[in-house]
Amino acid sequence: MSQWHEEYLKRYKRAKQDGKPFFPYTVFKDTVFATLLLLALVGLALWRGAPLEELADPTDTSYNPRPEWYFLFLFQALKLFPGSLEAVAAVLIPGLIVGALFLLPFLDRGPRRHPFDRPLWLGLGVLAAGVWGWLTWAGITSPLTNPTVERNPLVSEGLRLYRILNCSYCHKIGGKGGAVGPELDKTAANKEAAWLERHFRDPQSVSPGSPMPKLNLLDDEIKGLVAYMQSLGGGGPYSDQAPRLFADHCSACHRIGKDGGDTAPDLSTIGSARDKAYLRRYIQSPSKLNPDSSMPSYKDQLSDVEIEDLARYLASQRE
Amino acid sequence: MREWLKSRTGFEAIWKALFERAIPEAKGPVAWLYVLGSASLFVFIVQFTTGCLLAMSYAPTPDHAYDSVRFISDQVLAGRLVRGLHHWGATFMVVLVALHFSRVYFMGAYKFPREATWITGVCLLLLVLGFSFTGYLLPWDQKAYWATAVGTNIAAQAPVIGPSVAAVLKGGEEMGAATLTRFYAFHVLVLPALTALLIACHLFLVIWHGITEPPAREEDGAGDRRL
Repeated sequence: MSQWHEEYLKRYKRAKQDGKPFFPYTVFKDTVFATLLLLALVGLALWRGAPLEELADPTDTSYNPRPEWYFLFLFQALKLFPGSLEAVAAVLIPGLIVGALFLLPFLDRGPRRHPFDRPLWLGLGVLAAGVWGWLTWAGITSPLTNPTVERNPLVSEGLRLYRILNCSYCHKIGGKGGAVGPELDKTAANKEAAWLERHFRDPQSVSPGSPMPKLNLLDDEIKGLVAYMQSLGGGGPYSDQAPRLFADHCSACHRIGKDGGDTAPDLSTIGSARDKAYLRRYIQSPSKLNPDSSMPSYKDQLSDVEIEDLARYLASQRE
Repeated sequence: MREWLKSRTGFEAIWKALFERAIPEAKGPVAWLYVLGSASLFVFIVQFTTGCLLAMSYAPTPDHAYDSVRFISDQVLAGRLVRGLHHWGATFMVVLVALHFSRVYFMGAYKFPREATWITGVCLLLLVLGFSFTGYLLPWDQKAYWATAVGTNIAAQAPVIGPSVAAVLKGGEEMGAATLTRFYAFHVLVLPALTALLIACHLFLVIWHGITEPPAREEDGAGDRRL
């Protein structure tokens, strides 16, 4: 044992002798603080409650995933290391930090304990707290990538039935599910409501020889399923804003249906030819995908959310 | 009665060792920084209690999880309160252990002879993060599902072992029923058992070495002599 260790133990013994008994000296403060905490907890529990969003939908690609605020810094740090460097932010840096924390008592030895007597460790601590705070703040204020869209209640009902009836044993949506029946987001989404309704009532009547069973559904249930099927195409729901965006920025040259100009291609059925991701990239920089295009780039004129919204609107324009 | 308890349980000796032990006096508002550890323990007890109550009405399968959480919130007696306490308790826990951690870090309280106390503390900090990560999925709502999808993808990034770690967490290639059951098992069995064990070690070490005195400025670089 080194000399300062012995000295420390001696000094600590003296400090203890001159000290106070744990009860009630410390217990009093602990109890006061615990009571305040409990009051705050009950207050928040009654006033704010615990949030509960809609049922999880693994096929929904339009959701904006956000972790709880105390994990937000990690989420935000990933954005600073794009592509193959992501592992650095995701695993390497957190791993090194945790490793350093375990080793801390062996890195910072010596008798000095006051923070001002350990400027290096004080500086590192303040720096780490600052980076954490900055990343968290950047995460809170960073824009969402998907437009937030109120979901049609019929679609939610359809999704619920889809799960209860275990349709995914045979069908795929978003690449997930069985392979007996067709992939619904590629086929059923393009069908008309009347066809879908007849199909749900009696599959054999519109698809002779189909192994799909007759489900004996109620009218309301069929409505929900039809709405859900029709929501699948087009790469996700778009907001009410999207048609207006098209009118303001695109319709001078393009047309959808009867409205719009004719100097550029008609987009009335563009959703059958191109998917959402392609349309989004095209709106961002047309010349990259089509060097002959005279369409301007909208990257700087529209926000990412608006471009995403517009791409979904266009992807839903089908035959 | 007192005599009986004394001879059969050693109650008095334990009381003396735990509650009548002397601790160095901290003067002024600094003394209040020493409540953070016991406050974390208090919130852990709140989480344990409310967690037990929640587990009585919760079903850890994708078909029933969401509906059972809804049921707890809307139908169970005081269910909304219990769920609210557990939810906010989780947030408080993260804040409190972070503050406790900062207190120990900036006061240099991890130094000789308390290195082992520090190491158990870092383990407990990681366990708290594990609790909040696994607990987040359980309501099986949109937020739960997608935040976990992001989280497990982050785990999959690790070199060499990443994909296997993600597969163990998810219980397979895809997130689904196995993921939920697995997270539930971690959340209510594995993590609480480890946490209880480590809290016991942590508290034993805190009492064994005694709580640190507030650090004083150095005068000549040889240790805080003013004590």
